[in-house]
Amino acid sequence: MKNFKKLLLIACSVLMVIGLVACSKSDSVGNDKGKASSDKVEKKSYDKVVYAYATFNNIPNSDVLETVAEEINVITREKINVEVELLPIAIFDYSSSVSLTLQGGGQIDLFESLGDFNNSVSSDMAYDLTDMIDSYAAETKEIIGEDILKSTTKGGRIYGIPTYKPYALTPMVIYKQEIADELGIDMTQVKDIFDLTDVLRTVKEAYPDMTPLVPVQTGTSGVNMTIPEVDYLTDDYYSPKGILKGNDMTVIDYYGTEEFARLADLTRTWYNEGLILQDAATTTSTATELMSADNSFCYVASYSYPTEDTAASISAQTGGIPLGAVQIGEAYLDTTSINALTWMVSSTSKVPEAALKFLNLTFTDPDVINLLIYGIKDRDYVMDEEGFVSYPEGQDAASVPYTAQLSVGTLGNFFKMYPQEGTKKESLIWEEEQNQLAKKSPAMGFTFDSSEVKTEYSAVINVINQYLPGLLCGSVDPVEMIPEFRNKLSEAGLDTIIKAKQTQLDEWLKNN
Amino acid sequence: MKKVIKKKNRGLTKSGPLLLIALPGIIYLFINNYIPMFGVFLAFKDYSYVKGIFGSDWNGLNNFKYLFKQDAFLIIRNTLLYNFTFIILGTIFAIIVAILMCELGEKFRVKIFQSSLLLPNLLSWVVIGFIGYAFLNADTGFINNTLIKLMGSGKEVAWYTTPKYWPFILTIVYLWKNIGYSSIIYMASISGIDKSIFEAAKIDGAKKLEQIKHITIPMLKPTIIILTLMAVGRIFYSDFGLFYQVPMNSGALYKTTQTIDTYVYHGLMELQDIGMSAAAALYQSVVGFVLVITANAVVRKVDNDNALF
Repeated sequence: MKNFKKLLLIACSVLMVIGLVACSKSDSVGNDKGKASSDKVEKKSYDKVVYAYATFNNIPNSDVLETVAEEINVITREKINVEVELLPIAIFDYSSSVSLTLQGGGQIDLFESLGDFNNSVSSDMAYDLTDMIDSYAAETKEIIGEDILKSTTKGGRIYGIPTYKPYALTPMVIYKQEIADELGIDMTQVKDIFDLTDVLRTVKEAYPDMTPLVPVQTGTSGVNMTIPEVDYLTDDYYSPKGILKGNDMTVIDYYGTEEFARLADLTRTWYNEGLILQDAATTTSTATELMSADNSFCYVASYSYPTEDTAASISAQTGGIPLGAVQIGEAYLDTTSINALTWMVSSTSKVPEAALKFLNLTFTDPDVINLLIYGIKDRDYVMDEEGFVSYPEGQDAASVPYTAQLSVGTLGNFFKMYPQEGTKKESLIWEEEQNQLAKKSPAMGFTFDSSEVKTEYSAVINVINQYLPGLLCGSVDPVEMIPEFRNKLSEAGLDTIIKAKQTQLDEWLKNN
Repeated sequence: MKKVIKKKNRGLTKSGPLLLIALPGIIYLFINNYIPMFGVFLAFKDYSYVKGIFGSDWNGLNNFKYLFKQDAFLIIRNTLLYNFTFIILGTIFAIIVAILMCELGEKFRVKIFQSSLLLPNLLSWVVIGFIGYAFLNADTGFINNTLIKLMGSGKEVAWYTTPKYWPFILTIVYLWKNIGYSSIIYMASISGIDKSIFEAAKIDGAKKLEQIKHITIPMLKPTIIILTLMAVGRIFYSDFGLFYQVPMNSGALYKTTQTIDTYVYHGLMELQDIGMSAAAALYQSVVGFVLVITANAVVRKVDNDNALF
């Protein structure tokens, strides 16, 4: 037994030594590799940029990616002396995949923030672009404008470029046209969320087996987005903490507002009368799936496209059920609605200038943008005489070799992309106007840095996950639950978060 | 002295080839379990992508704070109670199943039963979550729609918003999934027991139940102790799939379904803070380590032969 123990000890120590040697070895190997690749780059004299983007479509295989990258490289070699490697990542792994690659020392030069601009900046993931933007991305800066660029500025430094697209989210009700016509419901009379109840009752009366309203996604009936003029102050729409309302610059508790209480009452009424899906708070089916079924009538959601276009595009996703859409609120722009999708150069990038130059092309060069989105002409898409794009005959999004068509609103400049068949060119004009006309939060440009209240954040998020879905879907009684919910929130430290937000906001107001 | 050295050498020559066989496993363990342990620094760092793991600023114990906020007591209670239940019930049921299997005798029947008991273990938690959903769904679920209607006794239950049923549901689901698998180890130990002991007992007039009580279970004791000790080491962890997928992550159930792993997951999905996740992992391992040492010390005191070390 004793011998065995000694042996074990020896074995362990030998392993430790081997491990250390292996560590140092792998380090040196890594360095050599780095050198080797930079040597290569010098020989060819093109900087290599890795462009990591989130895709909602299938990930194409590497041969196909190469062909698209090569087409892009033909342009970039000549224009900016850069070669690009495309790295599409499925949307649901995107954030973790990018952050793990960067931690592991892998190369990603350009990436997008999916909702967490602030986090990327406070953990030093993003390169400070302030000094480079004028020399390498001046055109982009001009297109986007100083105002919008403010949303990705922190402490006077620019850390990214927001995707240029229709920002303003307008709350709408999407409904089945045939049922509305049959029952003689005039949907244009629905002006706000509270008008919806009577419509739902009419439908329920005619079709007792139907659940007229379905949730837009897990845990929300969509009603939360209908509160007008809310600046979420950098928080997720689905778990707001401290917010600003209207022009008042005091940070308030979202769940203490009268509007929130009224909405919770409303959804409770729907739930009790069977007007909303009973397991709306837990179902993992998406609105489009639920709308494809026969026993649903409508859902509430916010989109950045005109009502007819939205209805047409969702109709296509539900297998061609004729849908209508009606606007039930006004769009409102706050910092998060713009910087939620921000393109950043990674702080570990060896070629930040080259990366920024390429990023600039994704905002300015239609050929580059459309190669990224639609792939290669006549293989992945066809274009008619009027310039509308569709899939080649007999093909669809799943069968063409390359497409990132569902990422249209996330890559570079949306307004330079070829329009898809079924949309109207006037819509683009409407959307660009909306960006200018939509009411903007007085705190536009302010971003909240949550790093000092991380502990409270994680506790508060847990409480919100626990109570909010039930309240937004009506499955719990608001009279009893809202006080309990708010109690738990303040125990978890919501007040500290609100105070921290107010302090940072006051500071920001002083400087702006 | 000479004798001792000789003996030592003999030990090495004897175990050398065996060690060689174990080498791939040891190397794997080292690469997979020891090298990543450098990451433990992260638990005390304010991680920055530019500065890297070792260059980031020290953060003291700040990363640990959120683990002791507010519901910490409830979450620790849930984690511990569930794991205790699983260890106790899991062991009891696994032994019963193993004994029954061994008594079946005929190979063909054993194979059929064993495969059907193992099947749930091969399903992923996501699938099991949806099987549960098919039973418990408020609108169309089997229990609400068929069972309760058949029994004619009134009210449908909103399963996914009523916390009080979930300790039972989760325990049943856990047992259903895991028993087949854990009974295999016990079956192996039972078939290792010398058959002549049973024969001798039979001649002495011992009935089946007496044989089980006086021979099988005492012979299984070492296996039970080792498996339990290993389970105790993981008592601060929870099976994430069970607690996240099976209740469909329903917020209203957190009172009885939230464990340390799901709490950390919920809190950090939005923050994506590497330091805080590392802190949670360190906290769990340290508590697990302390518990194993204590449990082993207790076993050693009571029954020295069966202690793990």
